[in-house]
Amino acid sequence: MTRFEPGVHVRVRSDEKPGHVRTPDYVKGKTGRIEGIQGAFKNPESLAYGGSGLPELPLYKVGFRQMDLWEGYAGLADDALYIDLYEHWLEPAQKEAR
Amino acid sequence: MTRIHDLGGSPDAGPIDKDQHEVQDWEKLADAVTVILDKKGVKTTDEHRRAIESLEGEQYKELGYYERWIAATELLLVEKDILTREEIDEKAVELEESWR
Amino acid sequence: MSGTHRDGEHDGRHHEGVKPRAEADYYAGRIRAIEELLVEKGVLTKEDVRRQIEYLDARSPANGARMVARAWVDPEYKTLLLSDTKAAAAELGIDASGPVEFVTVENTPEVHNLIVCTLCSCYPRAILGRPPDWYKSFNYRSRAVVEPRAVMKEFGLEIPENVRVAVHDSSADVRYMVLPIRPPGTKGMNEEELTGLITRDALIGVSAPLAPVRTG
Repeated sequence: MTRFEPGVHVRVRSDEKPGHVRTPDYVKGKTGRIEGIQGAFKNPESLAYGGSGLPELPLYKVGFRQMDLWEGYAGLADDALYIDLYEHWLEPAQKEAR
Repeated sequence: MTRIHDLGGSPDAGPIDKDQHEVQDWEKLADAVTVILDKKGVKTTDEHRRAIESLEGEQYKELGYYERWIAATELLLVEKDILTREEIDEKAVELEESWR
Repeated sequence: MSGTHRDGEHDGRHHEGVKPRAEADYYAGRIRAIEELLVEKGVLTKEDVRRQIEYLDARSPANGARMVARAWVDPEYKTLLLSDTKAAAAELGIDASGPVEFVTVENTPEVHNLIVCTLCSCYPRAILGRPPDWYKSFNYRSRAVVEPRAVMKEFGLEIPENVRVAVHDSSADVRYMVLPIRPPGTKGMNEEELTGLITRDALIGVSAPLAPVRTG
């Protein structure tokens, strides 16, 4: 029961959430594509403070074009970055959005 | 503001030092204690990371890798009322004196 | 034995792995005290510690090299490695069981993969053992995601213009290993010989496997 299917575009939320998160700033607000679903895992944001981490959250492998992540990226146009992100950090997006 | 441990794309990064130091016994011990406490359900990897990330600014930057682990382990054990800092202080002194 | 090498020129910080004696001794003292107290309070035993150290000492890049070499010679094993890395490890007697997942990413003529953990230093320890100091360094964690080609160049690896680079940031419950391309000129080599070509750095993605040594 996952919200996103492989191939769809998603945008990473820009929230400045205090405390322990596993979403680095460099992907926040960026648009990428779901590459795959890694499974469901306990929420680290809860576990980090002694919480149960339940319910488990889907973890997605999300791919980004490096050019979309970094201004003046010095590499190929189709160089990519992949990162594993928890479902609650992702929103639906349009392909063209940046 | 980006937190100290969130290093991806950090602007002041320099060349990568490829020197490798030999892992010390105390570092292996730090690693082992962390993992065992995790396996025994005393603390989670996530708490461990949170504790490391809470080492603000200079402390995070100045401590070596396993030193951060040890600082985090101490923080969590004290937080969970398993040990007190005073106990650790006393035991550290006791062990050091026993070597003399 | 601790060295006192300092890396001041680069970024004003100490070399990540090596500290001036006094500081290292302080933290060494802390963890020993913690261990003693935890043993006294029955939280863990010295035997637990011994076994855990032994567990990690027994793991090394040789495990990854064996898995890659097998994948190079056995297409079915390669399929397993890419679909279920834990099972592939187990098949070679490498126990990578645990809550963490493992994924192997394949280098091809079109794409070269590079592994990093920007937030801490996550690494496939249950297979490869301890990561190198440079992998844990702030500079690698900072730059691998934003300028992977420059980083790899520092390791002597230049990725051609017609090959795209894919960086994997191990941000969550998955650990990554690279399946490098089998070097040319290795057709006559057996699995054990191939293992010798696969370095830890090639499994992380900063280097290519070694070239075969020509004899005669």
